[in-house]
Amino acid sequence: MTSEQPFKIAVPDDALALLKRKLDDTRLPDEVDAAEWAYGAPLADIKRLVSRWKDGYDWRTHERELNAFPMFTRTIAVDEFGELDVHYVHQKSAAKGAIPLLFVHGWPGSFLEVTKILPLLTAVSADHPSFHVVAPSLPGYAWSEGVLKKGFVAEHYAELFNKLMISLGYSEYVTQGGDWGHVLTLAAASKYGPEHVKASHTNMPICDPPTLSENPITFLKCLIASFTSREREAAAASLDFFKNGMGYVAEQTTKPQTLGFSLADSPVGLLAWIYEKLVAWSDAYPWTDDEVLTWISIYWFSRAGPAASVRIYYEFAHLDNPKRARFPETSVPVGFSFFPKEVMQLPRVLLRAQAKIVFESEHEVGGHFAAYEQPSALVSDLRTMFGKSGPAAGVVPGCTGY
Amino acid sequence: MTSEQPFKIAVPDDALALLKRKLDDTRLPDEVNAAEWACGAPLADIRRLVSRWKDGYDWRTHERKLNALPMFTRTIAVDGFGELNVHYVHEKSAAKGAIPLLFVHGWPGSFLEVTKVLPLLTSASADHPSFHVVAPSLPGYAWSEGVVEKGFHAKYYAELFNKLMISLGYTEYVTQGGDWGHVLTLTTASLYGPKHVKASHTNLPMCEPPKFFKNPIVLLKCLITSFTPREREAAAHSQNFFKDGMGYFAEQTTKPQTIGFSLADSPVGLLAWIYEKLVAYTDAYPWTDDEVLTWISIYWFSRAGPAASVRIYYELALSGELIVFPKTTVPVGLSFFPKELARFPKPLLRSKGKIVFESEHEAGGHFAAYEQPEALVGDLRKMFGRSGPAAGVVFGCTGY
Repeated sequence: MTSEQPFKIAVPDDALALLKRKLDDTRLPDEVDAAEWAYGAPLADIKRLVSRWKDGYDWRTHERELNAFPMFTRTIAVDEFGELDVHYVHQKSAAKGAIPLLFVHGWPGSFLEVTKILPLLTAVSADHPSFHVVAPSLPGYAWSEGVLKKGFVAEHYAELFNKLMISLGYSEYVTQGGDWGHVLTLAAASKYGPEHVKASHTNMPICDPPTLSENPITFLKCLIASFTSREREAAAASLDFFKNGMGYVAEQTTKPQTLGFSLADSPVGLLAWIYEKLVAWSDAYPWTDDEVLTWISIYWFSRAGPAASVRIYYEFAHLDNPKRARFPETSVPVGFSFFPKEVMQLPRVLLRAQAKIVFESEHEVGGHFAAYEQPSALVSDLRTMFGKSGPAAGVVPGCTGY
Repeated sequence: MTSEQPFKIAVPDDALALLKRKLDDTRLPDEVNAAEWACGAPLADIRRLVSRWKDGYDWRTHERKLNALPMFTRTIAVDGFGELNVHYVHEKSAAKGAIPLLFVHGWPGSFLEVTKVLPLLTSASADHPSFHVVAPSLPGYAWSEGVVEKGFHAKYYAELFNKLMISLGYTEYVTQGGDWGHVLTLTTASLYGPKHVKASHTNLPMCEPPKFFKNPIVLLKCLITSFTPREREAAAHSQNFFKDGMGYFAEQTTKPQTIGFSLADSPVGLLAWIYEKLVAYTDAYPWTDDEVLTWISIYWFSRAGPAASVRIYYELALSGELIVFPKTTVPVGLSFFPKELARFPKPLLRSKGKIVFESEHEAGGHFAAYEQPEALVGDLRKMFGRSGPAAGVVFGCTGY
């Protein structure tokens, strides 16, 4: 493993020129009258975004802004996969006893999702704990190398993260994640907790449904639980997601390469594919055009290309042992934050049966990209969970957070 | 309704120039080692096809060949949707008593699918019946105008087809279709048969699964029937399709516009999306690169653009027409090809309609008319010929 290399994004000029040429030659579809969001990303939005991307949006400005973050790369060896070059954000708090925290993003997210909570997590105060933050880009995302060998699944991500944390001097740490970030930090907790992973927090709690034969008590509890009106609302929203919003999952879990040709070749195609989710999955977040375009540009200019980012869906859907638990059990303490517009919301009674839940928090606003939409709320939850009298206080020996 | 206008495809030079520029700037993805077809269209195939499309493939040559077909456009009014300009192939047989036949394609097909069966269907002989053939491009496909209002459900396609046939002087006719062609001709038969639609034939027999309470006998028959090895193979093939091949379906039935942006803007994106199916759906059909590229080019240069072609999934899924198949009283013929995507049990299919003709083939897949033109035409000739089970369904049109 190589030692840490400071990293600055430096997209080559010819890549910018190619993008400009493609944008100039964008061929847009027409649209069904009054479609709005029913058929997918609205034409008016995409037209406006393409126009801005072509003229006005300045990648170099945003590249400079991103480069102000403490970014690095380092090579990590993963069993059976050789060495992978991993891109990550790493910021230490000035607080000596800060708690090491691994933050993992999902799809269609990126390391960008840590940028708002970073200063809050690392800030020093007598009133709340602080964290040292490590936020890697998943292999195949942003500037992390992609994996070209089949079968890179949960335990490999877990190994990658654990080795990354240990290489940074954090042999004991806590995790935070949503989307794939939750699935993967759960895998890390299952495989490396409680020895290394001491606690986990997620803003997208999910689990497998109970079956009568395997978890009869949970199964029955779910049947007889009286759900709150909020839980019923959330279930209805989840149902809509399952019914109308899972096309991307179906394609990405079966034919990621077919889709990948479009994502790699077409800026507007990539934009529409991701923008549809940025809006659908957030809670009326006031996306600016440049915000969206930076989000998309990270995919467009990524080291492995946009097609690499969707392969994770395929790999997880094609495990050689399908009975292997998607959401493995873990003994480490777990914290949940519930945001009302999260796409998948399951009954609390079900989630509580799955792990040692030491912290729960319900919010009034926020969606899937909690760290980006509601940074203060999420950080506040972490501070409460890990703070002086919190339910996970002192999980990392010697790291009180102060 | 305007009268028939002869139609020649004439893609503008600047459209060709735009395509060339895009192809020159194609940005390909990498690929997982030894992926082959597991994750989608293989990189090597797509790379080769893009290279040919850029240099070597000559659209104008293929445009000329297509223009040798008897193609027309005419405007048809559809209730609630105004007038739609429809592109179609129309060839009359020399046989006076030829049977009028409506041939309807599906996705990712086109009117191209009629081109091999056309000369066989229209040829006159004492030994077999002949047909007058009408093969429209679905709205939003090839050079048919697209529909921009919501809710263009199956019954409107049926109305469009029926009016087209009547406008061509065929008040009574038979239908042939696979893929969407089957769903839509079935609807046409249901709404306009037996008055206008006299019989229907399909190469993708399908129906909704039986509910025990409604058809206990049928369900039991399905369960206890001993399937032939061929039927078991076909069922396994079907299962594979349902498990691994329905991503496009999930996206197109829910967010056709989102995928539409890619299909409209990216030649390689469109190519991969369709080519994956051209190979997966066929029975080892020896596609040439130029054949594939012509197939794709029809989508790329289509009047309404490629995004329009996938909206049918959304509209018909939303209306529930994808899962509830209408009843029809007209005689039906079924041709089973081994590599078709979905294989439904025969007892079930037989319980859904008046099946007068069945045929099992040794070779062929989803695009039967294109892969196995003689076999398909052979079936139609048997079904509608002198002593066939649907002989003389169209009054005054024996086929000879």
